[in-house]
Amino acid sequence: MRTERRVIRLGLGAKFTLTVLTILACTMAANTLYSVYASTRFHEKQLVERGRALGRLISLVSPEAILGFDFLLLNDYTRQVSAQPDVVYGVILSPKGSPLSAYIDDSDPFVRARINATGSTDITRLLQELDHQPELIRLEFPIVHNDVELGRFLVGMSKQSLHAESRRRLAFQLIALTALVMFLCAAIYLAFRANVLFPIQALISASRNVGRGQYTRVDVKSEDELGQLAQAFNAMAEEVRREQAKLHRQANFDTLTGLPNRLMALDRINQAINRARRTSQRFALFFIDLDNFKSVNDSLGHAVGDELLVATGMRVQAILRDADTVARLGGDEFLVLVPDVVNELQAEEIAERLVRTISQPQTLSGRKVVARCSIGIVVFPDNGETAAALMANADNAMYQAKASGHGSAIFFTEDMNTRLHQRMQMEQDLNQALELGQLALHFQPIYNAAARCHRGAEVLLRWQHPERGSVGPAEFIPLAEATGQIVAIGDWVLEQACRKWSQWHRAGLGPDFLAINISRVQFRKRFARRLGELMTTYEIPPHALELEITESVLLDDHHHVAEELNSLRAIGVTLSLDDFGTGYSSLSYLKRFRFDVLKIDRSFVSGLPDKPEDVLLVKAILAMAKGLDLKVVAEGVESDDQLQFLSAQGCDYVQGYLLASPMDETAYGRYLESLMVRAEPVALVATRNRRRAGTSG
Amino acid sequence: MDRRRVLTRALPFVCLAGSALVAPALQAAEEPLVMGIFPRNKPAETTTMYTPLANLLSERLGRKVILATARDFESFSRSVQEGRYDIVFYNQFQYIQSSRSYVVIAHNEEFGRSAVAGALYVRKDSGITQVSQLRGRTIIFGGGRDAMLSYIAPRFLLMQAGLNEEDFKSEFAVNPPNAVVALSLKQADAAGGGEILIDLAAVKKTINTDDIRILASTESLLFLPWAVKRTMPARLRGAIQSVMVDLDGSEAGRAVLKSALTTGIRKAQEKDYDPHRRMINAVFGKGAPPR
Repeated sequence: MRTERRVIRLGLGAKFTLTVLTILACTMAANTLYSVYASTRFHEKQLVERGRALGRLISLVSPEAILGFDFLLLNDYTRQVSAQPDVVYGVILSPKGSPLSAYIDDSDPFVRARINATGSTDITRLLQELDHQPELIRLEFPIVHNDVELGRFLVGMSKQSLHAESRRRLAFQLIALTALVMFLCAAIYLAFRANVLFPIQALISASRNVGRGQYTRVDVKSEDELGQLAQAFNAMAEEVRREQAKLHRQANFDTLTGLPNRLMALDRINQAINRARRTSQRFALFFIDLDNFKSVNDSLGHAVGDELLVATGMRVQAILRDADTVARLGGDEFLVLVPDVVNELQAEEIAERLVRTISQPQTLSGRKVVARCSIGIVVFPDNGETAAALMANADNAMYQAKASGHGSAIFFTEDMNTRLHQRMQMEQDLNQALELGQLALHFQPIYNAAARCHRGAEVLLRWQHPERGSVGPAEFIPLAEATGQIVAIGDWVLEQACRKWSQWHRAGLGPDFLAINISRVQFRKRFARRLGELMTTYEIPPHALELEITESVLLDDHHHVAEELNSLRAIGVTLSLDDFGTGYSSLSYLKRFRFDVLKIDRSFVSGLPDKPEDVLLVKAILAMAKGLDLKVVAEGVESDDQLQFLSAQGCDYVQGYLLASPMDETAYGRYLESLMVRAEPVALVATRNRRRAGTSG
Repeated sequence: MDRRRVLTRALPFVCLAGSALVAPALQAAEEPLVMGIFPRNKPAETTTMYTPLANLLSERLGRKVILATARDFESFSRSVQEGRYDIVFYNQFQYIQSSRSYVVIAHNEEFGRSAVAGALYVRKDSGITQVSQLRGRTIIFGGGRDAMLSYIAPRFLLMQAGLNEEDFKSEFAVNPPNAVVALSLKQADAAGGGEILIDLAAVKKTINTDDIRILASTESLLFLPWAVKRTMPARLRGAIQSVMVDLDGSEAGRAVLKSALTTGIRKAQEKDYDPHRRMINAVFGKGAPPR
């Protein structure tokens, strides 16, 4: 059974008042007790003094009466004595101790109690009993005449009335004290409330307002600590307000362009949705992405890239209405929100205007720059009913526009979503492909062009999808690169290739090398170190590995790429520049980075030997490679004429369907075994008419 | 006619002769009478108690009555012997002593009684049942040796039992009640006093009188006497006696009695005090009592 504890929370005022109350009560109570104690002591002394005065008087006047046997007079004396306040008894005893005269106040509670207890009025016994009463003061005085003791006078003084008076005084003082303490506490509390609690409550209220984003100043009414606190609070609140404004701006606006950022854009879209729902109107979103913005950054520098972004934002703003919103979503992505769009035609016109405006040449840092953009267009509510859906669809449409060619604007269609969903499905499937063993390595042999002998093989990746069948690398590798899955996949490929080479090598079948494609994403992740670990694990000599790197790798951070390439070179592996001739600045890369091999793209080989431009280009590449002391591999060799031409022009290595199709590891193992049986040089095992089962390297 | 003329002519002479005879008496009536009160109480108390009587007597007698008292018995007795008082109130022994100069005309009635016996008291737990057992014991008497009820009468009882003064130890309390109180307080083995003592409120209030009993008592003796000079004219003596005896017959008189703490004053004559005289003579012989 759970017992709930009631927690009484006391406010500052209550705590302070209780503290003051306790201190006051303790102090004043102690003072009162001491006062009463001292007073009681004083009155007790007075009582004794009174008793002594009476005793001395009686002892002075009694001898005559005793000598004259005037006991009635003695009685008068004792009666008179006993009539005095606080006297319980007055007794004159003979020298033998027998009472000569006695008067005892039988109304006294002690006397009455004794009489009731003993049932006797015997004076001597009663006196003995009373002597033990702490409330009684017993005083004794000798009655002497001419140095002869005639008797003794005993007087009993009761402290009862004294104590009763003390109690009464104590009660009165306690009542007065209580009243005084209560009054003082009330006064102190009121003063405390006025001078402390109210300012604190004002501060609390102001703090809560600040918490709600309402910045209110607290009136500073004094120069004391609370006044200083109020001043400090005001200063803090002002600083918080500034910081909040700054944070709000940082959170909602792009620092570079000053345009609303993604967060603000989403807010504006939501507002537009609400308004559009109320007014049954439509609005359009334009998702703008600058084409090849990275090239501008790389070639002209980031400062120019930033200038371009700022200028683009200003240009777009300039052609829009005040009610429209231009936001920078990040990178080179912009979003334009145009309310009250009547139809798609109006949206299309706006998109065209945006494309035209952005595409106009401009001079940035003294350089003439022409920017292109791709625009995805969505219309509320046709293409989505939430901000997230509209944004996603616009983004999707923008990608479609970008895929369809630079400088275009495309309306979102449901078909795009279908493709997107397929892509997402593939992405999910690819996630499980490694675990489910759906990925497999294939090997396409590479031959010495002149001697026609087998030298090695390019490692190719195949995905055996359980529903879609074999999926080519051209279909899933870009997806894997986009999602980052390529890192794990690439690592698996690398390890599997090392393992297989090591296995074949130990079997005496080993090809001279295996050429492995390295993705630019993979290349960023400390690739050289990982390669070194695998080579150590599988005892792979450096010459046994050839890493094929596309020009896209070289587009990344030059410094990092150079460091990584140098590390690979230090390991001793062969570096091959893949798809040579299809990139942007191949020659500058060759100059900047040192490669061992160039791979001529199949697109140049396919026109050989009939297309003069391909012939010239391939001859030029071969001549350049020879001049740079680079080996050349021509891929996609599918005819004898191509092989003859390349061989004649001094191409070092060839690969293609003419020579050998890609084969799985079992088939390639058997191929290697057959080579051992036949011994080099080998006959071509071309399957010239075999259907292409995958993309050769 | 002639006889009438003779009488008429003689009347002035008769009046003159009468006035010559009455003049000394009238002159004497104008002199105040001195009323002496024995110092049984303190002078102030005495004055308070008996001033109303003096005033009443003055009023009734048509003659000023002056109250006089003494600071002690000795000076009072001397004044009595010197005949300074016209009217005197004292104890029985003093009266007997002064009876050649003074004659009793009344006596006090106290506690509603005209006479009371003298007695010897003992404590009930003392084991004393006969007066003779008091031999060698301490006996306390109230007042002095001239106290009729408290000394002379008890001494008379002791003498009747064969005990002379040297046969017991005498102590004297300041007044009779204290003698009984002292007995109760075991200050003595017996006490002498009037048998009325035991009934006095002052005594009853002080001691438990149930513890005391009367061992022996005399015949009843008349209370304190009021006497006048034997030389006082009989008419004046009678007038004084009449005023005193009739006090309880009027409101003013009762007030006087109340003030004097007595219940009445009754007529008395010399022979009423013969028992007192016998006892005094028995105790003291013909001589004066030792002081």
